[in-house]
Amino acid sequence: MLIIGRPTTSAQKKYVIRTAAFMGGYAAIMVAVIFGAFDDIQGTPAAWGLALTVTAPIVGQIWTTLAMMRESDEFVRAVMAKQFILAAGVAMALFTGWGFAESFAAAPHAEGWLIYPLFWGLLCLIAPFVKSSN
Amino acid sequence: MKNRLKLLRTERGWTQEQLGQALGVSRQAVNALETEKHDPSLDLAYRTAVLFARPVEEIFENPHG
Repeated sequence: MLIIGRPTTSAQKKYVIRTAAFMGGYAAIMVAVIFGAFDDIQGTPAAWGLALTVTAPIVGQIWTTLAMMRESDEFVRAVMAKQFILAAGVAMALFTGWGFAESFAAAPHAEGWLIYPLFWGLLCLIAPFVKSSN
Repeated sequence: MKNRLKLLRTERGWTQEQLGQALGVSRQAVNALETEKHDPSLDLAYRTAVLFARPVEEIFENPHG
């Protein structure tokens, strides 16, 4: 869920703190990758460890989202589910379409890990327009 | 779902925040109910009815009858 403004409930405060922690972890790994911190482990078993490590913040974010839904009222829960489904659905549709474009239309290659920042970008775009549970 | 929640709330001089606390939901949920952006669950509708000491149908309009 995208929380605009100051978080008001205990559940929202915990969500913001946990999201910042997990996104910070993800961003730190990405910055390290960009600056070549892991260049030496390419092709070694440690690279598989790195691949698994980068999934941890995403799993943590899923847990954070579910925890927020569990601690929220029925309206917030329903809106969060709608926002998440829409952002995840559009991200999957775009990435699937791009994958086929790569295979059959010579589109430039997009790394698989881009789907996570794409999901968050879409959530930021979609969330302000999803204010109803109906 | 059409409802008389805002009228009942303002009659008592309550804010959305206060009503939310009394019902155990967020201010956003009260606002969504009042602006018909959320249909309450049966549980929330009954809690609202108990709070205002009125039948559910007097607060939330039955859309099927």
